[in-house]
Amino acid sequence: MRIRLLWRERVLIGLLVGSGVLLALLSDVFFTPANLLRATRYAAEIGLVALPMTMIIISRGIDLSVASNMALSAMTMGLLWQRGVPVWPAAALGIAAGTLAGWLNGWVIARVRVPAIVVTLATLAVYRGVATGLSGGTGILGFPDSFLALGAGTVAGVPIQTIIWIAGIAAGAVFLTRTAVGRYIYGIGHNETALRFSGIDVDRIVLGLYTASGFVSALAGMIYAARVGTAKSNAAAGYELTVITAVVLGGTSLTGGEGTILGTMLGVLIITILQNGLTLARVPAAVQDVLIGTVLVGAVLTYRERAGRKEVFVIAPPQPELHHVGGRVLTDPGNDLAVGEERRNP
Amino acid sequence: MMMRWGRELTILAALALLSGYLSLTQPNFRDAFTLSTILTNAAYVGVVGIGMTMVIVAGQIDISVGSMLAVCALIAGTLARAGAPMFLVVLTSLALGLGMGALNGALIAYLRIPSIIVTLATLTALRGAIVWWTKGYWVMPLPPGWKFLGTTHILGLPLPVWIGWAAVLAAAYVLAHTIIGREVYALGSNPQAARLAGIDTARVTFWVFAVSGLLVGLATMLHVTRFSMVQTQEGLGLEFLVITAVVVGGTNIFGGSGTVVGTYLGVLLLTVTSSALTFLGISATWDQAIRGAFILVAVTADIVRTGRWRQPVRWAR
Amino acid sequence: MAEPLLQLRGITKQFPGVLALDGVDFALTAGEVHALVGENGAGKSTLIKIISGVHQPDAGRIDYLGAPATFPTPRAAADRGIAVIYQEIALFGDLSVLENLYVGAYLRPLRTTGRRVDWARMRARAQEVVASLGVELDLGAPVHRLSAAQQQLVEIARALLRDARVIIMDEPTGPLAQPDVGRLFSLIRQLRSRGVGIVYISHRLEEIFAVADRVTVLRDGRRIITAPVAHTSRDALIHDMVGRTLDALYPKSAVKAGAPVLEVDALSKDAALADVSFVLHRGEIVGLAGLVGSGRTTLAHALFGIDPPQRGRVRLDGVDARVSHPGQARELGIAYIPEERQRQGLVLPFPVGENLSLAILRRLSRLGFVDHAREAAVARDFVRRLDIRTPGINVPAAALSGGNQQKVVVGKWLAAQPRVLIMDEPTRGVDVGAKAEIHRLMSELAGRGLGILLISSELPELLGMSDRILVMHRGRITGELRRDEATQEKIMTLATGVA
Repeated sequence: MRIRLLWRERVLIGLLVGSGVLLALLSDVFFTPANLLRATRYAAEIGLVALPMTMIIISRGIDLSVASNMALSAMTMGLLWQRGVPVWPAAALGIAAGTLAGWLNGWVIARVRVPAIVVTLATLAVYRGVATGLSGGTGILGFPDSFLALGAGTVAGVPIQTIIWIAGIAAGAVFLTRTAVGRYIYGIGHNETALRFSGIDVDRIVLGLYTASGFVSALAGMIYAARVGTAKSNAAAGYELTVITAVVLGGTSLTGGEGTILGTMLGVLIITILQNGLTLARVPAAVQDVLIGTVLVGAVLTYRERAGRKEVFVIAPPQPELHHVGGRVLTDPGNDLAVGEERRNP
Repeated sequence: MMMRWGRELTILAALALLSGYLSLTQPNFRDAFTLSTILTNAAYVGVVGIGMTMVIVAGQIDISVGSMLAVCALIAGTLARAGAPMFLVVLTSLALGLGMGALNGALIAYLRIPSIIVTLATLTALRGAIVWWTKGYWVMPLPPGWKFLGTTHILGLPLPVWIGWAAVLAAAYVLAHTIIGREVYALGSNPQAARLAGIDTARVTFWVFAVSGLLVGLATMLHVTRFSMVQTQEGLGLEFLVITAVVVGGTNIFGGSGTVVGTYLGVLLLTVTSSALTFLGISATWDQAIRGAFILVAVTADIVRTGRWRQPVRWAR
Repeated sequence: MAEPLLQLRGITKQFPGVLALDGVDFALTAGEVHALVGENGAGKSTLIKIISGVHQPDAGRIDYLGAPATFPTPRAAADRGIAVIYQEIALFGDLSVLENLYVGAYLRPLRTTGRRVDWARMRARAQEVVASLGVELDLGAPVHRLSAAQQQLVEIARALLRDARVIIMDEPTGPLAQPDVGRLFSLIRQLRSRGVGIVYISHRLEEIFAVADRVTVLRDGRRIITAPVAHTSRDALIHDMVGRTLDALYPKSAVKAGAPVLEVDALSKDAALADVSFVLHRGEIVGLAGLVGSGRTTLAHALFGIDPPQRGRVRLDGVDARVSHPGQARELGIAYIPEERQRQGLVLPFPVGENLSLAILRRLSRLGFVDHAREAAVARDFVRRLDIRTPGINVPAAALSGGNQQKVVVGKWLAAQPRVLIMDEPTRGVDVGAKAEIHRLMSELAGRGLGILLISSELPELLGMSDRILVMHRGRITGELRRDEATQEKIMTLATGVA
């Protein structure tokens, strides 16, 4: 399989390598196995949640409740374990709870037709609030080593969560580029109505996406609890912003229809390496938040500038004149291929 | 007339029922102190609600209000402790609010970044900055002059209550009867048409956010001058409370319609509901969950009622 | 001829890669209705965008009211009395009629004390203007409650309140039902008698002969001819527009109707559909006439499962069918070419090939994985069979002309191999050449045994293409006319419920 990179993916790889080299020069701790291992453990949590988030944003939705869902499912697992349920069944039930929470988001969005941003903004509060209410304000510690291995163990020197993440990337990329449903997800992002009029069950796909997001968030919640050794209600606070930033930095358009899993992976790596480097440089977490916000804003702006120039030729629906313009311009074969494939990376 | 004020009358009826029930069953609810507390709480939330009503009517959202309030409160408190006169403290709070609102507004209106992204970023960043700066310590003790605003009473009611009412009435007038006010509704109703009609949509959007920030600065002063210290978690979750009140008060979450009087009544209803929960002995750890559920139910009910299903929200674009 | 109100000389406009306007002259006199016609892409929209200040010309000169003028922004043009009534009505649904009349820049000159809105004065002037048009409008009603025709009235009244000297109407009859079109025309004549200059753009040539004084034809960015309407003919205009003479429109060949393919029995849905029953045979084209809102599209949506009916029976080839979802309709062999091509028919940024395969992607997949080679083969096949003019199947559908886009939508549904094809306004906004091709295709499909249900607001099209015509009024079928007995008058009588 030939891998063709989009221009922004090339830019991102450059950015990734550049910041890696810079940090390696600035800090003698950065390029040590111990530190890189720690960084990838964190990256895997962000990266896993970013996979369904990429698909949701491509479909022109958003899920703001992911971090709250991580806390809720970890809390559910912790409380069940505390009450005598063995740790792995408890984890399974925690993941089930998170999946149910995701399904609930999807149900309200797809069936009741409340905008995703409103629903998940509300459930961001509800899920975190239920986690807080259930915990009564205290964390749960002392999980068995077998469970903690999920967050701290390695297989052949590679962290377990990193293996899970890589598997997720492969599955997500194949799903999005090779399957009919993957195609539909892009279509929903561009024009949901046309998909409905083509006989595609949009509601079921949307429901599936948010349910998947709940499932993956819950899984990431388990990994988080295993990594820090505690189930607590303020777990993963603010992760939703980091995840969305990584996805947008990776080139997924907030207006739907565009984005790739590879781009998201690069976005996640850049964000987490930056955070790691800044932490090593003793930059306070609060300032890092400011920087992440700035990166997000910068990414949105840069990509729009680029897209804006292209739009003249391609996407200007209600102007018949321009369609005609496009029809002539696009006789240049190099140009029309670029346009067709901008969306996706085979 | 009944149709036009239908939402407001419904909320008033709900308020009357709830207050009546509490007065009959909870003797403590009846005393003047409870009433005064409810009204004072409603005053500051209501003032933030004015700004949020404008923002949502204009087709946008601002979830950074809680963090902005905390920044205003902490800097105002620090300034007061350093011996600055109260009027300077108040002015600083207003200016800070205006400045932060203007920053949101500039990013949204002129750089055209979706408001949910911008204000999610400022919410996180400002809250982070506060924790970093204060290291979690409260600002205290505060000088005696600090509580002047919060403890002055006129006709038996605290000054903030009067200021809140004045702000609500002034905003109601501006939104209903001035050109800039009507342009906010036009913008929220149909932004393309607004642009074609020659409205400077970016300018209106910018000012809506700037004024929302200014009102947060004012609300800060109404709120924190009642207490003798400023906490770092000031304003946490305020955005949910305010957005819920705006929606309960009849503002269309998609923009284009809504009134500040409705919002104020929505705030009152939520404030009374929240004290009802306290009276009924429900733990405060459940607050956030209940607020979140409230907003979900309110928006869903509103969408089902108006039949505006699956209409795109502009603040996500 | 009198001194022109607006005169454009040698207007040239270049967009990246294409010359949209090439030295175009255009003049508009006060009290004149000047029609502007041409195929999609001929330069009409660019020309009106230059007049209304949306675009700036690269070369050429504009004289307005006898003096050279530039319109750097839409606002500047509007302030000087140039109003555009767009195809997509640009009003504020939440606001009252009164406010819609004034909103925006037009509010400012009216303010009295400071920045306060003077409702009383606004109302008085608005009533004056509305009364002078001889129409009724409830100034207090929110605009989203008005009909399309009433909303258009609001736009016209708004233009007059701003003392518009030039009113540009872009396909104004698009959203209107037949009786409203008549009312619009008498309003246009009234504006003309007041000395307003009107630029009238329409694809429907009948309208131009009904209402315009002069007509200018554009083709490929150049002005071909300007002539008084009385001195030209429909055929001459078509010739000028396409640059060649078209074969006769409506090439409906007689096909012997076969067995019933679609039987509809007492279909009902709230108040929108009441006891609708009819039969469609193989090889038959049945026209569905009616005013906007008469239930034609509701019926199509009910049959296609977008908005399933509450009562009634549908049978396909004699077998009972329940359709509650468009996916089911597709599997049962019902296809629907929707009314709004760009919104409902296409994913514009998707390549032509992916649009063509959209409805049958599952059939082109194994275990959920798309067979890209088969997909491309199917797409190429339809591009060839329908003569879709595109540089390739990887070009976004957005880059095609309206007519070719419509052919993509048709191809998408032919790929699903339907038994019944429902076409909702299949040639709306499509230029003359592509229209004829779509008609020929319909005829051919019927010849191959498809049953076609044709919904159209264009009566000549219905009369020309249908074997039978069903007429709907308020959710009911009020009459059925055979091809040989149908006339425009009979259809209108049934459609307006007079009979």
